[in-house]
Amino acid sequence: MSLTGKRILVAKPGLDGHDVGAKVIALALRDAGAEVIYTGLRKTPDYIARVAIEEDVDAVGLSILSGSHLELVRETQRFLREFKGENIKIFVGGTIPKEDNEALREAGASGIFNASQRIDEVLAEIDTLLSAPA
Amino acid sequence: MLDPAARRELARLITRLANAGTQEVLAEPPPAITKPARRIGFTGPPGAGKSTLVGRYVERRASAGCTVAVLGIDPASPYSGGAILGDRVRMDDAAGNPRVFMRSVSSRDAFDGLCNNVADILLALDARGFDEIVMETVGVGQAEHAVKALVDTVVLLMQPETGDGIQALKAGILEVADVIVISKSDMPGAARMRENVAGTVRFGARRSAGWDVPVIGVSSEAGTGFEELEAALAKHAAWAGAHRDAGETQAMRTRYRLQDLLIRRLETVLDELAAAEVNAASPAALYDRVVSLLGR
Repeated sequence: MSLTGKRILVAKPGLDGHDVGAKVIALALRDAGAEVIYTGLRKTPDYIARVAIEEDVDAVGLSILSGSHLELVRETQRFLREFKGENIKIFVGGTIPKEDNEALREAGASGIFNASQRIDEVLAEIDTLLSAPA
Repeated sequence: MLDPAARRELARLITRLANAGTQEVLAEPPPAITKPARRIGFTGPPGAGKSTLVGRYVERRASAGCTVAVLGIDPASPYSGGAILGDRVRMDDAAGNPRVFMRSVSSRDAFDGLCNNVADILLALDARGFDEIVMETVGVGQAEHAVKALVDTVVLLMQPETGDGIQALKAGILEVADVIVISKSDMPGAARMRENVAGTVRFGARRSAGWDVPVIGVSSEAGTGFEELEAALAKHAAWAGAHRDAGETQAMRTRYRLQDLLIRRLETVLDELAAAEVNAASPAALYDRVVSLLGR
């Protein structure tokens, strides 16, 4: 598996202030060869989508612990479409109840991860999703 | 100001240039530049406060009506080739400004603190008519000398309590700086550091060339020193306009671009040599072999 040459934005939308998970994922992605752009805390979906366009990323990973995952994924997807970044994939991770998975996929999430998953599983899934044709 | 479509197009062009091999980049049509941007390079050791200061500076310029492109270079991991590009975290407000285009790049194979095809990326930004292009280096290695070739003004950041004037003298980096900033100037030791560095610079070679290198205390935290920094940059722009030969500057940039391409070509050739071949031959024979391979 290699994410060499892939550019991935790791972003923290919404109001929760914990970014250990985001940083763990960012480092793991780097160690898999990806170029990872990190936004810092408390960014709006509008801002995240703009950054994704300017940085020309292959995917945006949203780390959300606040419970507003559905709304934030939907909004990020809406802005990405508005800025013509519809080819940019969205992943979401954090505290996400399984029963929300289907709604999240409908809202635009290609991959949904939770804290009980092993990092190498997460990386393998991201690799598979990014290798698939857009 | 760039609309979303133009931003997307420029973003994709930069990706293509950053990924391009030497032959591909040479095949790119030269961009049409009608009004060259003023190029400013910020360099200095990791942790000196470059990203935060650049963020504040760019925000000020954009608020004053300037369009600014920012190229933030962060180091690639020597183990995985991946990178964490974190300059944006400290450039929040500037990066959200509609007059600002910001791009993070990885240093990848470049060992001079810049990135692959940086000269071409700068030209691509130049063709978009920005008023200023601000480049932030990785801050290690020979970044200062490389950045000097590519920008109009080099700003060197030093933070307080990082050695005395002799340390600064030894480092040999003071010679390339057009403007020196003592960052975090709200910290203890900043005033003494500033005096030390100013004392060292006073005897430097630049003075004889007719430019007095200013040493300015700036605190991004307190927001102080920025007027002085902007005044110094404007003064240097005027000085450079009057004293620098445009043809020589152009030649210096082209030489850097060639050197960058040739170094990468050389690395490819060296990688092709098998260990057995390298161990069996004399340095002189190997040298001749490499030169002939380069000429292929």
